[in-house]
Amino acid sequence: MKTKARSDSIRKRRNIEEKYSWDRISDSDSERKSHKSRAIVAAGIVLLFFITYIFKLYEVQVSDHEYYSVKSDSNRIRIRPVQATRGIIYDRAGKILAENINTFDLIIKKERISDIDLLLQKLSRLMSIDKAKQENLKEQFMNRRLKDLTIIEDITLDEYSKIAVDQHIVPSIELAPKSKRKYLSPLSTSHIIGYVGKVSDDDLESDVVKIHEGMTEIGKIGLERFYQNILSGEPGYEKLETDALGEVIRTIETKEPIRGKDVYLTIDLDMQNYIYEMVKDKEGAVVVMNPNNGDILSFVSFPGYDTNLFTKSISQKDYSGLINNKRKPLINRVISGQYPPGSTLKPFIGLIALDENIIDSSKLVNCDGAYELKNHKRPFKCWKKTGHGDADLSYSLTQSCDVFFYRVAELTGIDTISEKLYKYGFGQKTYLDMYGEKDGLIPDRAWKRKTKQEPWYPGETLNVGIGQGYFLATPMQLTLSTAVLAKDGLTFTPHILSSYQDTKKNKLYKYLPDQNKFIVNMPEQYHLEIVKRAMWRVVNEKGVGTASNMKKVGNIEYAGKTGTAQVYSLDAGKSDKKQLQDHALFISYAPYENPEIIVTVIVEHGGGGSTTAAPIARNIIDFYMKRKTQKVSMHD
Amino acid sequence: MIDYLETNRRRFSGISSLLYIDAKLFVPIVFITFLGLITIYSSSSGDIALVIKQFTRIVIGVVVMIFLAQINPDNLKLFAPVLYFTTILLLILVLLFGVGKSADRWLDLYFIRFQPSELMKIFVPLMLATYYADKPLPPRTKYIFIAIAIVIVPVLLIMRQPDLGTALLIGMSGAIAILLAGMSLKFFIGSSISFAALIPILWMNMHSYQKQRVITFFNPESDPLGSGYHLMQSKIALGSGGFFGKGLLNGTQSKLGFVPEHSTDFIFTAFGEEFGFLGILILMSLYLFIALRGLSISIKATDNFGRILTGTLSLTIFLYVLVNVGMVIGFLPVVGAPLPFMSYGGTSMVTLFATFGIIMSIKSHQRILRK
Repeated sequence: MKTKARSDSIRKRRNIEEKYSWDRISDSDSERKSHKSRAIVAAGIVLLFFITYIFKLYEVQVSDHEYYSVKSDSNRIRIRPVQATRGIIYDRAGKILAENINTFDLIIKKERISDIDLLLQKLSRLMSIDKAKQENLKEQFMNRRLKDLTIIEDITLDEYSKIAVDQHIVPSIELAPKSKRKYLSPLSTSHIIGYVGKVSDDDLESDVVKIHEGMTEIGKIGLERFYQNILSGEPGYEKLETDALGEVIRTIETKEPIRGKDVYLTIDLDMQNYIYEMVKDKEGAVVVMNPNNGDILSFVSFPGYDTNLFTKSISQKDYSGLINNKRKPLINRVISGQYPPGSTLKPFIGLIALDENIIDSSKLVNCDGAYELKNHKRPFKCWKKTGHGDADLSYSLTQSCDVFFYRVAELTGIDTISEKLYKYGFGQKTYLDMYGEKDGLIPDRAWKRKTKQEPWYPGETLNVGIGQGYFLATPMQLTLSTAVLAKDGLTFTPHILSSYQDTKKNKLYKYLPDQNKFIVNMPEQYHLEIVKRAMWRVVNEKGVGTASNMKKVGNIEYAGKTGTAQVYSLDAGKSDKKQLQDHALFISYAPYENPEIIVTVIVEHGGGGSTTAAPIARNIIDFYMKRKTQKVSMHD
Repeated sequence: MIDYLETNRRRFSGISSLLYIDAKLFVPIVFITFLGLITIYSSSSGDIALVIKQFTRIVIGVVVMIFLAQINPDNLKLFAPVLYFTTILLLILVLLFGVGKSADRWLDLYFIRFQPSELMKIFVPLMLATYYADKPLPPRTKYIFIAIAIVIVPVLLIMRQPDLGTALLIGMSGAIAILLAGMSLKFFIGSSISFAALIPILWMNMHSYQKQRVITFFNPESDPLGSGYHLMQSKIALGSGGFFGKGLLNGTQSKLGFVPEHSTDFIFTAFGEEFGFLGILILMSLYLFIALRGLSISIKATDNFGRILTGTLSLTIFLYVLVNVGMVIGFLPVVGAPLPFMSYGGTSMVTLFATFGIIMSIKSHQRILRK
């Protein structure tokens, strides 16, 4: 305790200190106390910090544990899809149309890329990378569905060995084995099979294809698209543990991919190739169908294109070459080419007129080469300027007299014609197993008002009577309509799939035509016979039938109808310029009794149906019949 | 008036008092170094060579600690100016001839490579304590300015290296010492504000990577693959550890390389991932205990030198813990600061043991006031 004397002395000393600015004398007691209180405050602060930190750590480690746990797993666990082997596509005889081959891609796994620009810079020291390629690589990098950056597709050993020398520049590049689609008859079957390509945003939005997690390749068009869900199988995956650099430490879990199912088509590849060889320099479509079950034996849209170009990323040059090709090889003419059917429509017009009792088999119309319509300046011409004289239905079909059908159409009227043509399959899809089918067009008053804002003119009915004017049909529609006629109304939905096979379960799923059969309510049988007989005459009545000057086919007889669809103007047929020439058409079925095949041929700007289209059909029928007898003799 | 008598040595018996060792400090420290060894072993995926190297340093550290504990604090006081100015010289040498990766902080003396900046962590408090030892406290203003000069010179030298983290830590330890010496709070706040005014100048003199760290701290999303990435991965590691941890050798974040520097600056993260919140709580409590024990020694110290030195050193050690842990949980920017007694590294380990050697020396050599 300080005595009074001591505190007095301290005060005195302080006064002196202040006066002379001396150092104070130490007061160890107060120093100790002051230090103690400061140390205790410090301890309090220490404790405060401790508690704050513990709270924060509790929040991170206990409260948010779930959140960080997931983050930690997604850090180290990579899921790598394993692509499923795509199903093989066979023709009806088991010949391969589309298969898979093993190739290698030069890739970089995305998790090993930290800076895309730097990578591109390094890559350009390894190989030449142009602007387009650079863009492509950047796009791939941004696409989150792709786990790898594909630098070079289908790299050859030579190319790789050149790069491998300098691989230290970009050590992350590697060869990745890949199963690649290969089409064996790419040109002749391009429009049947279509092709596969990388999954795009459009595919993701599409509701017709099922996209499995990790799938990178998808059918884009043709049957590859239509049967995508059957062909693709299901990709598997590998769950991998990787370190921060993306190196795989171990495999945690594997799911094997499920192989796609093999598909068997109704297509007869030999016939398909035979047809394609015949027509490859022309443009148009050929369909061969079995009317007894709807099997499509041949489906040729020509010219074709090399579908193998598309399984790799197609080069801009190749692609624009195809797009800008004047022959338009990318268009599937069989289902999306819409043509005026020309005279091939006449059998149906005749049948409608008979059925409506507007004419009978003996009804005669005088043809003097042209038909005058009231209030119409120009006469409607017949193809034969000299005229056919008095002609009945059968003769008019055989000779394809236009005047007769002008008259019949005028008598029947557009309302009845358009209504009844629908029955034979025109103006609607055939529901073939392929996407992109067009409806064709049966014009009527309502349609005219709606699209042209004009009333229907009587002259337009006459044009429809000979398959001209606004009337449009696809080759597939014509085939189906011919089948309706040939089979007296019993019709099968056309189809290209015959069966598909699950190789793992060894199960075969067959297409059942009987479940897709329908019966068209047909006119009286004797009416039908008149028309069918006339179609027989077209081919078989020498000198009269428009397609009768061809060589016979073995010992069978067949029926058909020629058509010449006028393009642009009535006189166009005489022009030498190809673009202005008429489309040549021919519909047919063989044999005449118990038909087995329907053959439809359309050659764009081919000139006359009888000179261009009919011989092609004749050869196809010949080919079919010869092979049939061969097969029979082999069985004997 | 005041009688200086016996050291308290004789009041106790047993090995620790014989060696002038404070068991209450020594046991938790050894336990922490043991946890550090386990964590280094685990996060290096069982690299036993690394563990042995670290163990050797611990042994050296313990020897240094015991040696320093024998030295009478009066001798420390005697040598303080020499040690301080020599180290200042070494810091200048580092600037001229330093070796190291990006930041040149190492001095290669052919037989040993060390960081003089680490030594300053002891010598600055030692110098301040010595300076105030014979001054009446609270210090007069002019003594405060001299003390600030003692702190600021090494701080600026270390900042030039550039090692912002260590510079700030030393600066703060200096501030703690001056505060413990009895600087008035008014004066402290005033000078803090004037230092804050110097921040723009500091910013301009900072290296771009240092600036980046500060920017990242205030806005982690600005650099998700740089420093922000480290912080994020560190939090993921801690958080995924949960309450009980993933277990020894199971810390995926650290072992697979997502957490950087998992044996040095981010060893707390690696430890927390494997031992969970429970392990962290134990570890943090050990640090807290050490700090409080240091403060208690400081309170019981008999002279200003002992009070200021022990108080400053024990608070500084806890400050290192706060800075390191604050860094890995996102309280503070990512500065290179090791976790005391845990992080892999020689100079830091030996310096820390030396620090506690000094604390123990003061504790066991204190003179008892006889009534």
